Formats: sequence, structure tokens, C-alpha cells
Amino acid sequence: MHEVSIALGMIEELKRIALENNAQKVTCVKLKIGKMSGIVTDSLIFAFDAVKLEHPILSSATISIEEVPLVYECTKCRKTFETDSLAFPSCPFCESYSLKLISGEEQNIENVELEV
Amino acid sequence: MCDVCGCHDNKNIKEHKTIDVNQSLLKSNEEAAHSNRRHFDEENILAINIISSPGSGKTTLLEKTIDALNNDISIGVLEGDIETDLDAERIRKKGIPAVQLTTGGACHLDSVLVHKGFHSLEHQLNGSKLDILFIENVGNLVCPSFFDLGEHLRVVLISVPEGHDKPLKYPKAIRTSQVFVISKTDLLPYFDFDIEKIKKDALSLNPSLKIIEVSSKTGEGMNEWIDVLKKQKDISH
Repeated sequence: MHEVSIALGMIEELKRIALENNAQKVTCVKLKIGKMSGIVTDSLIFAFDAVKLEHPILSSATISIEEVPLVYECTKCRKTFETDSLAFPSCPFCESYSLKLISGEEQNIENVELEV
Repeated sequence: MCDVCGCHDNKNIKEHKTIDVNQSLLKSNEEAAHSNRRHFDEENILAINIISSPGSGKTTLLEKTIDALNNDISIGVLEGDIETDLDAERIRKKGIPAVQLTTGGACHLDSVLVHKGFHSLEHQLNGSKLDILFIENVGNLVCPSFFDLGEHLRVVLISVPEGHDKPLKYPKAIRTSQVFVISKTDLLPYFDFDIEKIKKDALSLNPSLKIIEVSSKTGEGMNEWIDVLKKQKDISH
């Protein structure tokens, strides 16, 4: 349940952002979570909703999550492809293993909506 | 103007603004990890983070490693557990400085805890220098893989009794490690454990993974493990 630790870190960061911007409340937090990040989004929302109540400035904040697909670029044929498997794939076009990860590992706070 | 009734009361106006943040959810851990790594580099210390399920043989491997290195290389150990000082005590019995980090419930170490632990270890060292710092993480094959501690090398252990299916079930531990130790290989005759399959699966997740088969009990594979440590120490510093 690393999502609890991640939620606790996120709460400290949101409080800092709210303070810096003289906000009354944080209303919405937009996250980008990659398919290969290993973060269970439902668990993260559950953990955030449980701990946010201790912080009045965050108590009505909601999380919106953009899930990012796992995309590789083949460095040989330059084509990109999406996959669902976490195992290291080969290029479906030219079978090369020389691949560059384009997206799928994201675990970012994109933006925060504040009431000022 | 108040947007509820048009009373011109500015106090009731609620403005919303969106702040672009674009930073990692684990930013505070990552910052402390970078500062740990910088500190280890300045002190010429190779830091190794060992992760596995509970009972895979992390502490026993450390005990045997201490015996095998035979004071050629100076070692310090940070022991992560939810409760008790048992593992640090086992290491201290070998004459090696060790600090127990008890998380009090958290299922993984983080870089801030490692920072504090390392300073406690420095007090025990009383000015003498370390070559290798082993950080034994809390027994858990999931959560520790999310938290960079500032290590140079991450080692994951999976023991024979756990079964050959574990790499595919716990991909992040395999993907984020550089060395994979298959431990308790003396038990191979007693388990339906497909060693070729576990290696193939682990390499499918992480093609550059170094895989070593070790039995801390019989000493089989210990030479290869010690060679990896010594080579890594030479490469790093």
C-alpha cells in the first residue's frame, strides 16, 4: 500500500502550493499516471480521500486522473506502438529489441485548481 | 459583483485559478534520495538497496557476505523493519556497525529515513570510513520498488520456496533492480522450481539484469556475488 505514502507526500506538496498562492482551498488536483507506474489509481484516490479530511484547505479537493498508455518507439524503424504487456516487448513491425520508452511511467501532478 | 445575488459584495466572490505543477508525486522522496546519493559519492561509499519478500534470506546473505569479505572491505548496514531490533543485532554480532530503522507500520523505507539512519551510523563509525553501505529494506516485494533511497545498486532477492512465478507477478521490483539473486538454491531438489523460466521471465522484464544463483547455506554462488560487489565498487569509485 505505497499509495498511502504517495498520498501523504502529495498532501504536503498541495499545502505548500496553496500557501504560496494564498489560496483558500484546493478544489481539484489533476494527476498523470502511467500504465507501468505501478500506482493503483483507485487505491491512491481512497488514500487521498481518507487523509485529506485532516487538512481543512484540502477537505473538498477532488482528484482527476489521466491514465497514460505504455508507448515505445523503435529506434531502428522509428515506428511507435502501444502495448498492454509490462514485459519488455519487441517491435511488432521489425522485431527489433532496440526500443525507447515514450510514455507509461508517469506519476506526476499536472496541475492544481485553487480557490483564491 | 457577487455571483450569487448581485449584491456587489466583493467578499463573496470566489475566484478559481489553475496552477501548472508538472512534478513527480514522489518529489520530496526523490530530492532526499539525490542528496543521499551525493553524500555517498562524496564519501566514496557504494550504497546497495536490498529488497525482497519477508524471509527470502536478505539478512543471512548479508551475514555470509560479511564473512566472505573478511574485513577486506569496510561495511555498514541499515536494517529496515516495521518493528524490532533483531536484524541489526544479528549484524552487530558480526562486528559490523548497524542501525535499525523501524518504520512503525510503513511497508518500505524512504530516503528521509535512510538519511537519518546514515547519520546515526556515522556516530557509531566514529570517523572511520565505509566502502559499502548495505540498506536492507522492509520485507515486501511491492512498495520498496517505488522509493529511491539514493542507492547506486538495487538488488532483488527471490528465494526458491517462493516459486518461479514471482518476477511476472512483481514486475516493478525486477524492472528497477540491476542485480537479481535467486536465493536458497540448496532447496532446488525439494521444490518444483523452474530456474530457466524464472530467469527468462526476469530478463523479459529487464534485459540488462544480472542474475546470480546463491545458497547462503552451502556457499554456492557466493564467489560470483562477491565478484559483483567488488566490480561494482571499482566501477563506482
